[in-house]
Amino acid sequence: MTRILVTAGALALALVVTLALFGLPVFESLSTIARGSLGSEASIARTLARTAPLLLTGLGILIAWRAGMFNIGGEGQYVVGGLCGAWAAMVFQGQSSAVITLVVLLSGVAGGALYAGLAAVLQVTRGVQVVISTILLNFIALALLKWAVAGPLRDPSSTRPQSSALPDAVMFLRPNPQTDFHTGIVLAFLAVIVVFVFLRFTATGFRLKWVGANPVAAHTQRMKVGRLQVTAMLWSGGLCGLAAAISYLGLARRLDASFTENWGFLAIPVALLGGLDPIGTLVAALYFGALFAGCEALARETSVGTSAVFVIQAVAVLVVVGLGRLQLQSSRPESKPAGGAE
Amino acid sequence: MSEATLRVEGVTKAFGSVVALNAVSVEFLPGEVHAVLGENGAGKSTLMNVLGGFLTPDEGTVSYRGEALPLGQAAEMRQRGFAMVHQHFMLVPNFTVGENLALDALQDLRGRLAQPDLIASALERAKSLGWSIDVDDRTDDLPVGTQQRIEILKALAGPSDVIIFDEPTAVLVPSEVEELLGLLRRLAEEGRIVILIAHKLSEILAVADRITVLRRGRVVAQTTQMEANAAQIAEWMVGDVPAPQSPLQEALGEKAVRVKDLVVSGDRGEPAVRGISFEIRSGEVLGIGGVDGNGQTELAEAVAGIRSRKGGDIVTPNGVAFIPPDRQRAGLALSLSVEDNLWSGPVQRRQGLVLNRKRLWNWSRGVVQDYEIKVGNLSDPVRSLSGGNQQKVVVGRELSESPGLLVVVNPTRGLDVRATEFVHRRILDAARAGAAVLLISTDSDELAALAHRILYLSRGELRDSLVGATA
Amino acid sequence: MIEAYLPVFRYATPLVWAALGETIGQRAGVINIGLEGMMLAAAYAAAVVALGPGGIGAGLLIGACVGLLLAALQAAFTIRGGHDQVVVGTAINLLALGITNTLFRQQFGASGELIRLPTIPLWMGAIDFVVVLGLIAVVATGYGLQKTKWGLALRAAGEYPPAVESGGFSVNRLRWQAALTSGAMAGVAGAYLSIGVAGSFAEGMTSGKGFVAIAMVTFGRWKPAWVYAASVFVGLTDLLQYALQGRSGIPFQFLVALPYVAALAVLIVMGRGTRVPAALGLPYRKEG
Repeated sequence: MTRILVTAGALALALVVTLALFGLPVFESLSTIARGSLGSEASIARTLARTAPLLLTGLGILIAWRAGMFNIGGEGQYVVGGLCGAWAAMVFQGQSSAVITLVVLLSGVAGGALYAGLAAVLQVTRGVQVVISTILLNFIALALLKWAVAGPLRDPSSTRPQSSALPDAVMFLRPNPQTDFHTGIVLAFLAVIVVFVFLRFTATGFRLKWVGANPVAAHTQRMKVGRLQVTAMLWSGGLCGLAAAISYLGLARRLDASFTENWGFLAIPVALLGGLDPIGTLVAALYFGALFAGCEALARETSVGTSAVFVIQAVAVLVVVGLGRLQLQSSRPESKPAGGAE
Repeated sequence: MSEATLRVEGVTKAFGSVVALNAVSVEFLPGEVHAVLGENGAGKSTLMNVLGGFLTPDEGTVSYRGEALPLGQAAEMRQRGFAMVHQHFMLVPNFTVGENLALDALQDLRGRLAQPDLIASALERAKSLGWSIDVDDRTDDLPVGTQQRIEILKALAGPSDVIIFDEPTAVLVPSEVEELLGLLRRLAEEGRIVILIAHKLSEILAVADRITVLRRGRVVAQTTQMEANAAQIAEWMVGDVPAPQSPLQEALGEKAVRVKDLVVSGDRGEPAVRGISFEIRSGEVLGIGGVDGNGQTELAEAVAGIRSRKGGDIVTPNGVAFIPPDRQRAGLALSLSVEDNLWSGPVQRRQGLVLNRKRLWNWSRGVVQDYEIKVGNLSDPVRSLSGGNQQKVVVGRELSESPGLLVVVNPTRGLDVRATEFVHRRILDAARAGAAVLLISTDSDELAALAHRILYLSRGELRDSLVGATA
Repeated sequence: MIEAYLPVFRYATPLVWAALGETIGQRAGVINIGLEGMMLAAAYAAAVVALGPGGIGAGLLIGACVGLLLAALQAAFTIRGGHDQVVVGTAINLLALGITNTLFRQQFGASGELIRLPTIPLWMGAIDFVVVLGLIAVVATGYGLQKTKWGLALRAAGEYPPAVESGGFSVNRLRWQAALTSGAMAGVAGAYLSIGVAGSFAEGMTSGKGFVAIAMVTFGRWKPAWVYAASVFVGLTDLLQYALQGRSGIPFQFLVALPYVAALAVLIVMGRGTRVPAALGLPYRKEG
């Protein structure tokens, strides 16, 4: 409870301080942000559309970090998920649209999961730290993306390097085409329930938490530490890949070199501020989804745009960390001198 | 009385409620090897850390050559000639020998690293001791005995009028021990004060001029080599050991556990358990005594099925419960809740795909009541519990599912009297309920109170008596 | 022919400085995930200052100071507070990205009006003094780490901190020094990126170069000369990418990925034998 209050306080403080620091009138800006995020059907739809990818990648990050796997490759897993989705859409061209939609979703999940799984297997079998390997894999994924949209996935009718556009029938439904809302967003919210149930009600989810909290004790309890770490990363990458597939089928319609919008990185503060908890992450993702939507509105009136959200995220993370409300150390041994107390 | 005496007077040091040193007074004379003996937890290491400048005592003074020493300031103590050879070497594993020697010889951090100059004095010592040292060898490629020599050279390179050895023989093979003891003598003959922290009686009797025995933070006896008597010293160390009497009158059951020619490696691949055999009947408590670092952890983990064995056979009944020696390292996840910690034990291993949270929760409530765990809310982090209650979480978790075999290592270390009594009672209850119990403990009172039979572990082998094990 | 490849050193120089700084930090046990943010903030500050009367010299200096400042902020959390280095580094990156983007728009308009910075005079049409200083920095870093007392203690702090403390030195003081050096060098890297390479500033212009630098430290196996070689290798693939862009049929993106694939391959092949500083990423607290 205190943690939630501290986090909420930090978030509010960070918002106000950031606005003030950038020389904006605080109350007017807040009202613009409120209008832009919640003021109309279109605003709410925009908030939800920004929340969905943040939420899915945030859930992905939280599962990995809970298990002590410091995945910072959400970006790469998102990209590979999108690529696999686009590739599947090409392969299954001509099938019924429902089949294509389903196959794109599944391929996205599988692509992201395998890409993250690769990093996990390298850590477990070869001792290559996930923190470092996922950085490298991010770059490799980006290169793959640029190559694919200029090569095998390229839309022959386009002058730009980008994949072919998906037909409307394959895309998620948009009840009101004037707004950003699409049915894929619902999947993101369903994912919260799935992750919540997985962590809370399954034996594997329970063991994942244990491996992250104290791998030595987990091993002492005969848990299969390496296998659980790989499992966590498969989930993590799968969720990031799902985020990409939903973006692709929701609003993006095609892939190009800028397909990724940093969701994989932005997910890290979302998951952290959500206390590495599914419900908390849902709240954090909604908050930042709303801030993104609101700051898009702010950007139309002032020179301050969505970038201000990054500052708010950063300040909030630092405040929460600084107040010692985020305990991650348990999964990493400290180096201690000998010669201490007996 | 010599001018260069080191006087420890009335030193007291407490960690929380545990008094590690209680008004300890000792005099150390130059030219002598002075052994400080005691069981684990007797206060040896604390005393050594005070002398090394790593700990500031709560009360008391230490003076050398008539001057009070700046306690708690390691660098300052080093300047005054206090050198220490640590049991856990202060060597950077992937530095070369030369780099490690140079690192220790640094006076400041300015300027060029003139390694040859920095290590010259250490190499000279090596030469005078007849040790051949290759400064370009990578430290962790070297055998443990050689690494210890580097640690000793570090100490001797600087001012070292008082040199403290912390359990130096624990890591050595017998031939190396011989040589080391010779070195200790030689260093004393050169006029130094040599302090030897140790527990192996035979080695101490062979080398020490004077012996101080600590027990539970107090000096219980002092003697000289002339007057020393192994049996007497062993008794001082452990107190009045009641003859092991069976604490349980019930008849023992069938043979439940059979361990034959067990060989287990330690973390660095060193042989830790060297071919031991024993059997435990159902309802029997087999106690294994001896000092830490003689293969206890490895034996316990191998029998509990956590560590793979190098050789031999282990037959155990179904349901193996394990209470590890270090609850915070291997027993609990401190950041997780009490219920998460309770569920992580035998219960967890029997779960299918889906946790029956309702049943687990009810079960947890039962354990909390049954084991008198003082906790406000089951979802509180286990970190917020006292040490005694944390251990009750471990004990409750492992015992409430009627194990066939219970492996316990130092289950009451750091606990107060009431918690200790409670844990003991529960272990005996488990045995009465038919569990075979392997109790590994460095606390002889604990062994005497619980075990039907006591064996002693020494360098990975079992012995029949304490004197045999320490000697 | 050689002249065509000389610009590679300029392209590589931001990476060289950033990766060298990261090398120093990591050898002391500090992984600086916030490198990207330090570079970006420095790139922006340097661009703004270089437009003023101080010119490029002041720009580079301010860039270094901004890097230093962010490094101090990060170190206050990670070294002093003992908080997770990845978490804090991520926050530093976001902070820098958010602040520079916003300030840039406020100053130069939402479209990001193109600014033209004064240029650094070139020798042989391709090399300038920062490139040369970078080379000197490689030698100096190598010398500093291997041949000075400070370097020895620093490396020990990254490998086995208790040995440093038992020698009478403070692990955390050494780590502060390493972190600040790393930050200042990241600052030079960022400043040179905007002033020396781009001649301009653009939002998010580091585009992952900070992470590339971290990757190259791994690729160069924590040895300054190899880290330099790895950075130049990346610069070369960048350059070839532009050179080949016009021609069809050549998957130059594979070329771009080559340094990362190679770095990963090195880690996989070396496995647990990789000489990662043993105490990397672990906070140090004294007991007793």
